[in-house]
Amino acid sequence: MAQQGMDSALFERRLRPVYDNLEVGNNRKALQESEKLLRKHPNLLCARALKGLSLLRLGRYEESHGCLQVVAQEKPIDDSTLQVLSFCYREMEQLDKIVELYQHAVKQNPGNEELLAHLFVSHVRVEDYKAQQAVALQLYKAQPKNAYYFWSVISVVFQGIRGPESAIPEKRKLYLALAQRMVDKHIKEGKMETEQEAFLYLHILKLQNKHQEAWEFLTGELCAKLYPGAPVSMKFELLKELGNWKALNELLQQLLEADRDRWDYYKEYLQSCFELIKSTPTTEEGTPNDTLNSCHKFLLHIIESSTRKTRGPYLARLDLHKRMRAIQLPAKELVGDFDDLIIEYFVLFGDKSCCTHDIALFLPSISMEQRQALANKLLAESGISSTSLPQTKEHMQKHICALQISRMCGVHIELSVDHLLAFYTALKLHYEHGYSSFGTQLLSTEMGPSDPYALLAANVMYDISFREQKSDQLFEALCLLQYVLRNSTSNFHVKLLSLKIYHMFGCMLGAQEMYDYLDIKQIQLDSMGYVHCNLLPLSGRFSGVRTCYDSTLKFFTNSYKERLEYIALTYRFCTFSKMEEFMNFKERLTNSLLYVACSVEAQLCDLVSCYGNVQQNLTAYVTMSIEPADDRIAWNELSDNRDLEAIIRWDPLHLVDAEAARKESYDQEIEVLQIRSLLLRLFASFIDLYHAPPTAKLDMSNSKTPLEPPVEDTATIELLRESWTGLHQRLRLMNYKPLSQQFLVNLLPTRLHLLLELPYERFFDDLAQFVLDLYAGAPQLAMQCKRMSENVVAVMELCVQTITESNEWNSKDGLWKRRSHQQKVAACLEILSLYAFLLSVLNDKLQASAKTKTKKKPTGDNKTQDTPQIISEKERSQMLQELMRQLKHKLEACDSALRSWKPPNLPRELSSFMADMSLKPEVEATLIGDVSATFKESHEVMVTELRNLIKDKIRIVGK
Amino acid sequence: MTTLRPFTCDDLFKFNNVNFDPLTETYGLSFYTQYLAKWPEYFQLAESPSEHIMGYIMGKVEGHMDNWHGHVTALTVSPDYRRLGLAALLMNFLEDISEKKRAYFVDLFVRKSNKVAINMYTNLGYIIYRTILEYYSGDQDEDAYDMRKALSRDVNKKSVIPYTQPITMRELRHQLRHDGC
Repeated sequence: MAQQGMDSALFERRLRPVYDNLEVGNNRKALQESEKLLRKHPNLLCARALKGLSLLRLGRYEESHGCLQVVAQEKPIDDSTLQVLSFCYREMEQLDKIVELYQHAVKQNPGNEELLAHLFVSHVRVEDYKAQQAVALQLYKAQPKNAYYFWSVISVVFQGIRGPESAIPEKRKLYLALAQRMVDKHIKEGKMETEQEAFLYLHILKLQNKHQEAWEFLTGELCAKLYPGAPVSMKFELLKELGNWKALNELLQQLLEADRDRWDYYKEYLQSCFELIKSTPTTEEGTPNDTLNSCHKFLLHIIESSTRKTRGPYLARLDLHKRMRAIQLPAKELVGDFDDLIIEYFVLFGDKSCCTHDIALFLPSISMEQRQALANKLLAESGISSTSLPQTKEHMQKHICALQISRMCGVHIELSVDHLLAFYTALKLHYEHGYSSFGTQLLSTEMGPSDPYALLAANVMYDISFREQKSDQLFEALCLLQYVLRNSTSNFHVKLLSLKIYHMFGCMLGAQEMYDYLDIKQIQLDSMGYVHCNLLPLSGRFSGVRTCYDSTLKFFTNSYKERLEYIALTYRFCTFSKMEEFMNFKERLTNSLLYVACSVEAQLCDLVSCYGNVQQNLTAYVTMSIEPADDRIAWNELSDNRDLEAIIRWDPLHLVDAEAARKESYDQEIEVLQIRSLLLRLFASFIDLYHAPPTAKLDMSNSKTPLEPPVEDTATIELLRESWTGLHQRLRLMNYKPLSQQFLVNLLPTRLHLLLELPYERFFDDLAQFVLDLYAGAPQLAMQCKRMSENVVAVMELCVQTITESNEWNSKDGLWKRRSHQQKVAACLEILSLYAFLLSVLNDKLQASAKTKTKKKPTGDNKTQDTPQIISEKERSQMLQELMRQLKHKLEACDSALRSWKPPNLPRELSSFMADMSLKPEVEATLIGDVSATFKESHEVMVTELRNLIKDKIRIVGK
Repeated sequence: MTTLRPFTCDDLFKFNNVNFDPLTETYGLSFYTQYLAKWPEYFQLAESPSEHIMGYIMGKVEGHMDNWHGHVTALTVSPDYRRLGLAALLMNFLEDISEKKRAYFVDLFVRKSNKVAINMYTNLGYIIYRTILEYYSGDQDEDAYDMRKALSRDVNKKSVIPYTQPITMRELRHQLRHDGC
């Protein structure tokens, strides 16, 4: 230890190569360098810690653990050793050890600011607010900085609102009062310095409902000086809490005079007006009272006195109308006719693409009849009829807006198929006209101004396809979208819709292409994963989809590692206004349903597609470290992070309930995850029974009874099997409805019904029994073998039959059922692949034990049986061999079916597709050629991949 | 018609409509969290009445002495909400905050080829202060303009006397370090 302080610069230089190697990921070299250094200086703790880190990075956990333990026992105090150790513990998620580490260091070096700060952050990581408070105060004593003082204040606040005692109202009150006293004292001493400190004080007052005090502080001198940028919304919030609607009303009038397009101001302003009428009784029956009168006058005044037309006051007027109608006040008399107001708005702002969203806000407040009448008025107002075309870009945008609104009003949904087709043709022409007139001179980063026509056209074509349950119209829409994409390469709406259609038609290659084109990365992998990554499991590919899981999982594991450092950052910068937000964000990110689901699917995918020999496969299995007995998923914490709004839609408002659809799909996704994670654990428990996990295996090598793992192992299988059948029973009773597919933008069905329809439940239930019987050598083993072989036949037949069905469908419609057929085939092959893997492991074990022992007396389970006849290992081995032979045979049958699987027949004659568009013939030829080639290739890639999968399975059971 | 409010972590899950735009970069989480933690009031979001994200601005304040200035790191507006003066609104907000923080000027970097943006910033009172060579790396490296606008504290408008020589990335890095950025 002594030598460390002596010559730190020298040691730092010697340690450098280790750090450098670790940084570039050369862990082996780092290990060598650290060992070299340790030979010369065996007591150099930092070198030993670095050795521990190198070992950790090399996956040599046991050695690493030993190494780090030695260092930790020395209770190091030098910064570099502590840093390395805490880095290791962070990586291993042993956050409490970092606390211990710094506690020791602080004990030996009391009052050391840096060590105390590290100790503080280590408490932050484990969210121990009480300990945080104590350390912050120690820090403040050691070094009276404001930051430390307020660290202790916020730690007290968190004890009151987030800590274990926060549920007890008296405790909460006590903590918050204490926090306030601490700040009060500081203010009295004239020590408050920053805006975040002022924010925190306001926050503490608000948490205690001391709104008046908060108001006084916010409008006081100190706050003005420290916190000049305090958001004005804080004032609104407090005035509302105080019920001071009059002051709020006046404040907002002032603000609106200066800032005439702020929706947040108008919203609060209108609310204040309506609160004011609540408090003063209506003067005369049926006439709007003074408040609303002056509100209306004020809005008119803004409209009339503005030189530049902004949407603000107009929208506010519409909102006034809506609010008045909602409480049966005579809106028409005061504000005017609703339709007229909307038309005026449309005339003024219809050339902006946001106009549709704006008008849509007010549609739910009127009847269906009025909606449709209004839609027709807007169309008429746009001045485009079946015989005229827009003359300017602005004119065109108005037409687009009117069309989008009509769809939202439910006009299209009532048209006949013939009408819809004519409408589609018109839209296509409008697109082409708009493109050639206004869209050819665009930058590559701009969207084509007439693109919305094509997007609408795709939705209309889906309506027809859905009605007819046929793919041809939608396929044409896909071609149109692909054409648009060539003209407008940055239109992500087009990419998202194409991606959706490709998935719907089971064309993985096209989907992947669109996904890559969208360049989804970082947090988008989470929020947008539902459009692609979440659709990949059982889509028909296994190894092919693994890269997509990988890139998604990589984002999650990286952010998981960093998640706590973000929170530490808010402390470092004393950003009190963001701390809770960061903590909630951390929860949301780490509990993302997609993260958990994707991890499970990636593991299943690995088990299905492992292609080595038994030993290699088992090694791969062990590194997955699945703990069957341990359900690691925090079911109640899971979070829905999907950005469902990213895909634009204009579907009839009365038929779309976005929130209900979100909930429904989310609930089903959770159930799917239940099934999949249980499948994974159940399957792992089979393997573990024969191939016990590494730790148990170590013990076993000493005990010389390789086939005798602890009793709990069969218990785990029993338990999981019970959950498995229980889960399926519950799900069947729940009777979930498949997600509605009425509109193009709706989410695709979840896999829930597929999983329930396919023989997963029975297959793995029987497999569990088989594994147990085989293990015990139970007399009913022969019967169970028979059941398994029946199961295998059933799955094989389902696979073959599905392919036959798909080929039959191909003559009438090659695409409509393609996805569901592919899913079924994939599911069958998943089941058989897992089974093949298991059989190969079982066989390997039985063979090995037959070699080591000439005769082995199996133990069986603990139950005393009436018939103690136990089937000999040799017989068991023979039965197993028979099952493998049978599986091989059935896999061959699947393979020959796969070979006969025809690529999708594409609907209609391709050449007639774009007949009515003025496309150049060469564009048309390549476009349609490309789209159909994608479908064909996608099928071929899938079949090749599946056949390779089968080939591997035949090999592992064929030996 | 806009609501301006601070950008929150949860918005990261919802900003796809804006970020799918090809000129808008989606950064790693640590980038956003650093800005949110360090300069929370410099990260603002514009929301539409229908509660869609219309755009956002991300910036910071830094520098020593008379180089203490606001900086625009990213400014983006969703394609659906262009030509409504939203960018100006967000820029005003950032300038306003920088005024309150007693900054001398506001600056930003923009691609030399991004005519639309340069035009807009010029209309908002920004001048091309200097050129930074090969600031944007990619298939083809691209120069950036460093654009500036003086704030009221810079009474003599010293910060916006243009620099005639282009500077290299190396010089820029050196300068930033020296200025405490």
